[in-house]
Amino acid sequence: MNAVAAVFYRDFRQRTTNVAWLFWDLFVPVAYLVLFGTGFERAFAGNFAVGGESVGYVAFLLPGVIAMASFGVAMNTSWSFFMDKDSGIFYELLTYPITREQLLIGKICFNVLLAATGTLLVIAVGVLAMGVEVRWGALPLTFLAVAVTTAGWFFMFSIFAVRMRRMDTFNTFTSAAYIVLMFISAMFYPLEELPPWFRGAALLNPMTWQVDLLRHTLLGVGAGATVLLEALAFGAFTLLCLFFAARAISRAA
Amino acid sequence: MSVIEVEELAKVYRAGKGDPVRALDGVSFAVPAGQIFGLLGPNGAGKSTLIKCLTTITAPTSGRAAVRGFDVVRRPLDVRRQIAVVLQQAAVETMLDVEDNLLVYAYLHGVGRRESRRRLRAIVEEFDLGGLLAETVQDLSIGTKRRVQVAKIFMVDAPVVFLDEATTGMDPLMKRRVMERIRAEARAGRTVLITTQILSEAEQLCDTIMIIDHGRKLAAGTLPELRRLAEQLFRVSLTFAEMNEELAARLAGLEAVEMTIDGRQVELVFRGEEAALLERLADIARLVPITGFEVRGADLEQVFVALVEEKR
Repeated sequence: MNAVAAVFYRDFRQRTTNVAWLFWDLFVPVAYLVLFGTGFERAFAGNFAVGGESVGYVAFLLPGVIAMASFGVAMNTSWSFFMDKDSGIFYELLTYPITREQLLIGKICFNVLLAATGTLLVIAVGVLAMGVEVRWGALPLTFLAVAVTTAGWFFMFSIFAVRMRRMDTFNTFTSAAYIVLMFISAMFYPLEELPPWFRGAALLNPMTWQVDLLRHTLLGVGAGATVLLEALAFGAFTLLCLFFAARAISRAA
Repeated sequence: MSVIEVEELAKVYRAGKGDPVRALDGVSFAVPAGQIFGLLGPNGAGKSTLIKCLTTITAPTSGRAAVRGFDVVRRPLDVRRQIAVVLQQAAVETMLDVEDNLLVYAYLHGVGRRESRRRLRAIVEEFDLGGLLAETVQDLSIGTKRRVQVAKIFMVDAPVVFLDEATTGMDPLMKRRVMERIRAEARAGRTVLITTQILSEAEQLCDTIMIIDHGRKLAAGTLPELRRLAEQLFRVSLTFAEMNEELAARLAGLEAVEMTIDGRQVELVFRGEEAALLERLADIARLVPITGFEVRGADLEQVFVALVEEKR
């Protein structure tokens, strides 16, 4: 069996043994969209302006929730490195006839599938239950964006999961990353009205690049040139993180 | 031709602000095809570090090592295509069931689905895993986890096998079965490198043994060669007609490497010339007659202790 397919099979079997993981990965984003979206749409009672376009809060939030789902899947997948280290299988994996890159790519393949399923669920609920209008024609582009960005986040977390020795340190790190990256970004609110320091930090945050890209492909909002630049930046971020994650695995022992 | 070649291999760990630790310090050896090579040493001797270097988990700081001609630093993937490894820690997929543990291992070593299934049936029978196939591994005992871990390596045809304390935690029957299987694999041409703390196991299994301590090679050779290296080390079993305090004191005066007195039975491990030992025992026999007497070469454990203590 091909090495990437074998790692994919391994992760698929691991993740499907625990329904709780799948619940968190798939249904929490949907709950966010329904509860948070409904609450804030009523509270704000108006539309948001994004790059000159006007959208309702649920529509504004939907790409952010997809980004959240992709981020969560990546974080949970990287956490599995700790399980592998605890069980000792991590070091045995390093003796298998596969490259470090194949290990990382195989691991992310199943989780990209999971993130894509979560994306489909969020879009379905958004469109069918909450009346969001999406650009169906650009849906393949949305899924491509989800795949690349989920991989990018996974590679980033993997660097830390492999290098950190203690699980509590890693948990603290991921919690901090969750708060900082999601809230200092364009996920929940438009950046235009925010203080300059906040806006500056958010514009440097790959989460903003991801959300802007998804907002553009799904809703058609945002300046094309800016979004293209952000997409390229996220692509570079993904490749850089893959390089450092593979290096971290090589140096893990 | 040697399947494993190691030349002046060194590994230095630098952790935090402490002094660097030389886990391996210029080790050299070679293992020919089809041999069972035993690597012995006390805890912290560098055995596991050596296995980590040879299996490409970690890179050596200096020196050279190759498996079937592939350099472990320059051709790590080619090395990994030649090997199957059981690490010291009970490395198993805890979230998967026994069946998936075996199948995933085979898949990750490039074995096809149909062939993996075929091998699974044979291995399950050989390792008594039939009733456990659907059990999640995290629910199994340590000994059974170890059995799954060892069974995995027989799912693949890698020509070189590394076993780092592979039989630890196994029941004696399964241990015997695994040892028989290892012997059979070596007869079929597989090269096996094992580390073990159970010296009798190494004595029974290994064609060649290397003893290391503090990252350095102390000795290497076949068991008879190691016995010779341990310089006139004898194991003497004596039965005296009676035991008394004066006799015990005289025996203590022999300055044996090891001595146990159990009633009239005395076991001595003695280092020195055999003739000199017999002369001194004859002298003692004038005090209390000896009714039973046997001299044997030292076993591996005594050779091991003598060599390690001598070089420290």
